[in-house]
Amino acid sequence: TAGNTIFHFGPCRISMSMTEVRAGFTAIKANIQARDPIRTLSILSHPHSLHKVKSSDRCCIAHHLFNFYVDKVFKHCKTEDSYVNRKISSIANSFLSMKRKLGQCHEQNKCMCGQESAEKFKQILANYKGLNVTSAAIKSLGELDILLDWME
Amino acid sequence: SGELYCSLPNPRNVHFESINMKNVLHWSAPEGTGDGVLYKVKYSVYGVGKWIRKPECRNINRTWCDLSSETSDYEEQYYASVKAFLNGMCSDWMETTRFNPLTDTKIDPPMISISSTEKSISIILTAPEKWNRSPEGESVSLLQVYPGLQYNVSVLNKKTKKRWFFSVSNNTLVVPWLEPGTAYCVSAQIHVTTPLLHSGFSKEYCIATLKDKTA
Repeated sequence: TAGNTIFHFGPCRISMSMTEVRAGFTAIKANIQARDPIRTLSILSHPHSLHKVKSSDRCCIAHHLFNFYVDKVFKHCKTEDSYVNRKISSIANSFLSMKRKLGQCHEQNKCMCGQESAEKFKQILANYKGLNVTSAAIKSLGELDILLDWME
Repeated sequence: SGELYCSLPNPRNVHFESINMKNVLHWSAPEGTGDGVLYKVKYSVYGVGKWIRKPECRNINRTWCDLSSETSDYEEQYYASVKAFLNGMCSDWMETTRFNPLTDTKIDPPMISISSTEKSISIILTAPEKWNRSPEGESVSLLQVYPGLQYNVSVLNKKTKKRWFFSVSNNTLVVPWLEPGTAYCVSAQIHVTTPLLHSGFSKEYCIATLKDKTA
């Protein structure tokens, strides 16, 4: 469908409505990032940038990240603003379908996890656990463009 | 750090204005302050723990500061902040929102060069270059930054006022089956699907097809 992008994560080919996700995030970016006062900590980009991940590890990192966002982020991002909440759930649905598709590819052993991706994801989880659940979830959601930029 | 007593009104509307990733911090003077206000600027990389002062923008009286060099890595995101001083008083630090050079920049229209034959026009499109630290340095086209970059091209028959639109990914377009001896005007726009970015349309470049020699 229009606005769908085909991503090649190693041997896994996954399509995602990127234009829709980007538009949804752009609409709530300022609102969500304003709720995150912590400048000195990033969940995704420091100390190790996603952009330094080897291409052989892209699939496994993507698989972990989609699980991370579906299981640990979206559900803890309830706000008092119904418009923002609707946008969040629309993004969450796109991520859910990506999670399933990548999960199937992972189960067919096509999405191998190397040492580097395991380390990288461990760091992401450590950053996440360094904050209380709500702050960590809001910060992760505010960094969605970092994930989307990396995917593209 | 021996900060002064900060009761001066704050600088307002502190924000980045970015074109082709030339990233300039802008702000408005504090309300009700006339001349004589001075400013200092600092910036930080999101996720990294320290603010960095910008020496070239210390004790300045203008209300902008070019941070292109400091924010040139578009895989990072940034904050910047401004503080005002007047007659021994100061304001609070006033911050921007989080700045992502990749998604928050504006893009200039493409450059166009055209040539014609009797029945066709050839159009060569060139995307603008990313802001460059020094003219001698290696230039980077925005095409390399945004691999999904496309061109929307408009071609107008000046006689019939008929207009066509084309969307092309590569940088050359040949428009065939045109009328000999007729003026056509071309204008183009850059369009990136994700992140969603588009330039304005360029100015029009006009050319006439050659006259039909057999007529």
